[in-house]
Amino acid sequence: MAVVTLDRISKRFGGGAPPAVDDVSLTVRDGEFMVLLGPSGCGKSTTLRMIAGLESITSGTLMIDGVVMNSVPAKSRDIAMVFQSYALYPHMTVRDNLTFGLRRRAIDRAEIKRRVDAVADMLGLTPYLDRRPYALSGGQRQRVALGRAVVRDPKVFLFDEPLSNLDAALRVRTRNELIRQYQRLRATMIYVTHDQVEAMTMGTRICVMNQGRIVQVGAPLEVYNNPADTFVASFIGNPPMNLMKAELASASGVVAARFAGVSAALPGFGERDLAPLASPAAIIGFRPEDVYVARPEGADAARFASVRVAALAAEPLGAETLLVVSLSGEGEELVARVGRDVRASAGEPITLWLDLTQAHLFDPQTTRALTRSIET
Amino acid sequence: MTLDFGRLFGRTLLLSVLALYTAFAAGPFAWLAVMSLRTTSEITADPYALPTILHWEKYPQAWFDSNYGTYFWNSAIVTVASVALLSVCGAMAAHCLARYRFPFNRLVFFLIFSAIILPPQITIIGIFQQLVQYGFYNTHLGLILVYVAMQMPLTVYILEGFFKRLPQDLFDAARIDGYSDWEIFWRITVPIGLPAIATTAILNMIYIWNEFLFAVVLLVDDNKRTLPLGIQRFMGDYLEDTGMLATGLMIAVVPIIVAYVFFSEKMIQGMTAGAVK
Amino acid sequence: MALAKRWRASVGEGQAWGAIMAFLLPALLFFLLFTAYPIAKTIYNSFHIIRPNRPDEFVGFGNYAQVLFADAYFTQSLVNTLIWATVAPIVDVTLGLLLAACLYARLPCARFFRVAWFSPVLISYVVIGVLWLWIYNFDWGVVNTLLRALGLGAWAHVWLGDPNTALWALILVDAWKWVGFHMVVCLAALSSLPREVIEAADLDNCGWFAKLVHIEIPMLKTTLVSLLILAFIGKMKIFDLVWIMTKGGPLWSTETLATYTFKRAFEWSTLDLGYPSAIAVLSFVLVIVFVLALSWLLRQRGRLEF
Repeated sequence: MAVVTLDRISKRFGGGAPPAVDDVSLTVRDGEFMVLLGPSGCGKSTTLRMIAGLESITSGTLMIDGVVMNSVPAKSRDIAMVFQSYALYPHMTVRDNLTFGLRRRAIDRAEIKRRVDAVADMLGLTPYLDRRPYALSGGQRQRVALGRAVVRDPKVFLFDEPLSNLDAALRVRTRNELIRQYQRLRATMIYVTHDQVEAMTMGTRICVMNQGRIVQVGAPLEVYNNPADTFVASFIGNPPMNLMKAELASASGVVAARFAGVSAALPGFGERDLAPLASPAAIIGFRPEDVYVARPEGADAARFASVRVAALAAEPLGAETLLVVSLSGEGEELVARVGRDVRASAGEPITLWLDLTQAHLFDPQTTRALTRSIET
Repeated sequence: MTLDFGRLFGRTLLLSVLALYTAFAAGPFAWLAVMSLRTTSEITADPYALPTILHWEKYPQAWFDSNYGTYFWNSAIVTVASVALLSVCGAMAAHCLARYRFPFNRLVFFLIFSAIILPPQITIIGIFQQLVQYGFYNTHLGLILVYVAMQMPLTVYILEGFFKRLPQDLFDAARIDGYSDWEIFWRITVPIGLPAIATTAILNMIYIWNEFLFAVVLLVDDNKRTLPLGIQRFMGDYLEDTGMLATGLMIAVVPIIVAYVFFSEKMIQGMTAGAVK
Repeated sequence: MALAKRWRASVGEGQAWGAIMAFLLPALLFFLLFTAYPIAKTIYNSFHIIRPNRPDEFVGFGNYAQVLFADAYFTQSLVNTLIWATVAPIVDVTLGLLLAACLYARLPCARFFRVAWFSPVLISYVVIGVLWLWIYNFDWGVVNTLLRALGLGAWAHVWLGDPNTALWALILVDAWKWVGFHMVVCLAALSSLPREVIEAADLDNCGWFAKLVHIEIPMLKTTLVSLLILAFIGKMKIFDLVWIMTKGGPLWSTETLATYTFKRAFEWSTLDLGYPSAIAVLSFVLVIVFVLALSWLLRQRGRLEF
């Protein structure tokens, strides 16, 4: 168990390229499952590798349990890593793969055997102990990779997109396995992924990164419900949040927005909240699940705004339907998550209802979110 | 802190070992280059001194008076002709074996490929008899034909491996577009396979330029000799003339070194082409 | 009937036989005329006594019997060649691997070292031979001068003139030429190992040496084995170096199969081509047997899927 502190960590590769990791500061609490989430090239893997010691740190300080680790070699940091490609030693049996790291650390034989047997049992690897990696399935290999890390009993576990190489069904099963192990071990774990479903289901906190910088850190639902900017808003959530251009006006303490032919007052926003804006132009966002085909019964009229649209396509997914519509005017599109029985044909005019209490506002210059100050 | 010192020590130890080996590997050449610019009496007096006067005139001397010029041209003719033939015939054969399916494909490939392990003794006596019988003995043409046969296995092996990896779609598209077999070879395989062909050309050039055994058996006239033979003859007559011998050696070596300076990467790749699995 | 059907099935519709033959013919011709035919001729020779201007005299296995049982020179050259072909590959490949491991540790100026160490590979054996003749020179050669300068003058030797040291002196020269080649191949093979497995070894507390022995060498087995076999084949053919430096002397201590065959065929006044042909055929059979045995012995057991 350990606390990992990154203090203004940067990584520059030579050649005048922009920094891969730019001024990242983060504290991973003891026993926390921190997910580094972001698109490819955002610097999350580089950050992880710097924590591991596989990549040197250009500037900034890395501390594990208060001890500065910048120049400590990887093998002495008491961390274990699970790689995307499992990185099992192909010429050794499963048992040897598990014991290799322990043997090199001068732990006595009996203890090694005890640990290996315990871990193999816990991960269901006992029948495979004498096989070589090539004779194992992808899921089994991943469990061996995990076992190799667990058996080391390290301070910190690092995961570098370990589920990317698995097919969908296996990914779900292995993900649950990882969650189970986390709950058993309650160790500090740092997990890198580009898959937001993994981030949402596994992390105690998510750290969203983009272009080398941290954009937002928070609990999964916090990040989902209150995205810090348009990037987080559209990255998390599938289908992504619908973003539209809007014009804001405030009068007598009420903020009203005009967008896509709709004019409505936005509950929860006060005049002060608009202060960062340079002009009345803003971006308004609605998540697909906050767009309805019919006003829910008994709902407060002021909560919903209706908008007339033309349907483009209805994609029945079985449990629900995704409705893609075209907004009048700008030619923007909107995606709504609606019930599984909804049908629409192309070009058909429909009325949709937007839940204004769930509206998100963003500053178009800085892309940052505007917060609500009034309780609703 | 101790950690840093240990690593620094390890690193310097490593670097000194490597520097020593570099001296071992490249030192003899430096010595040779220096000796080529000194006269024999200077060398006998002090073999390891740096030249006081740079005797550049030894090079034209070696070239004209000691016949190194002739040897050089002979080597050049034989090498260029052999490599040209090897590249064309080898590429054709490799293209055929890689792209066409026919019953004896693998058999032919295996036959040609297995010739790589042949020690030259097994063919040289027969070749000698053959060339004498048909009048090709002591001719450049005879030597060229022998060299082509000698390097054909390796050339075909490397090119076949490369050509096999070209996507079949390209060829299917060309066929549909109406290209003939020959045109497909010339317009698709050769242009795309040019890097591999260049690689084998480099490999062959180095082997043939340096080849000694077949040349010694099959060439007799002094004015037909290739460079390795020229050097050997020099050894016989003028072993004591260290200075001239050194200059002669440099003439043999300089083309390769010059090429190496400009194309080191390509040449390394060429020479190791067959070995990297 | 069945055979014809199978033929047609494998040949396919409208097979371009014309094109196939046109492409294959030149290379095939070279092979048949200057490789296959000479081998056949040499085999034929080995069963005869071939003298110029006289008909070939059939002697059955007579030549072979003499070579194997009554020829001390052949036995000596065989022993020399086998020593060379077994010791040298191991030395070459080991040194090459060690040097490659040094460069693989991402040293500064690795590219410079790689280029410098590879250069001897490109130089002809003749040039190398003369150069090392000078290096081994008793009076003013590099080796003895160095020894004397270090106060070890007593160790100064006539390296190429002493039957006990001559062969090893030549093997050293050969190693000097070829270590760079093996180094380059090993470096390429090391670089192709999956990076993450090496990093996992780093995290598992593997030092430089432990990583080499436990992880890198086992994963490079295929490359190392093929390098060993290639080197073996190459050493069995050695001629140029010996011819320039010692011509097989002193006292046959550096005679190889190739030099002996050459001497018997083209230098001695016996003028019989049949006997050296028998020697050549025996060398050939030996190489094949050894290569097959080596490949079988060092064959890969199990796959090394990454």
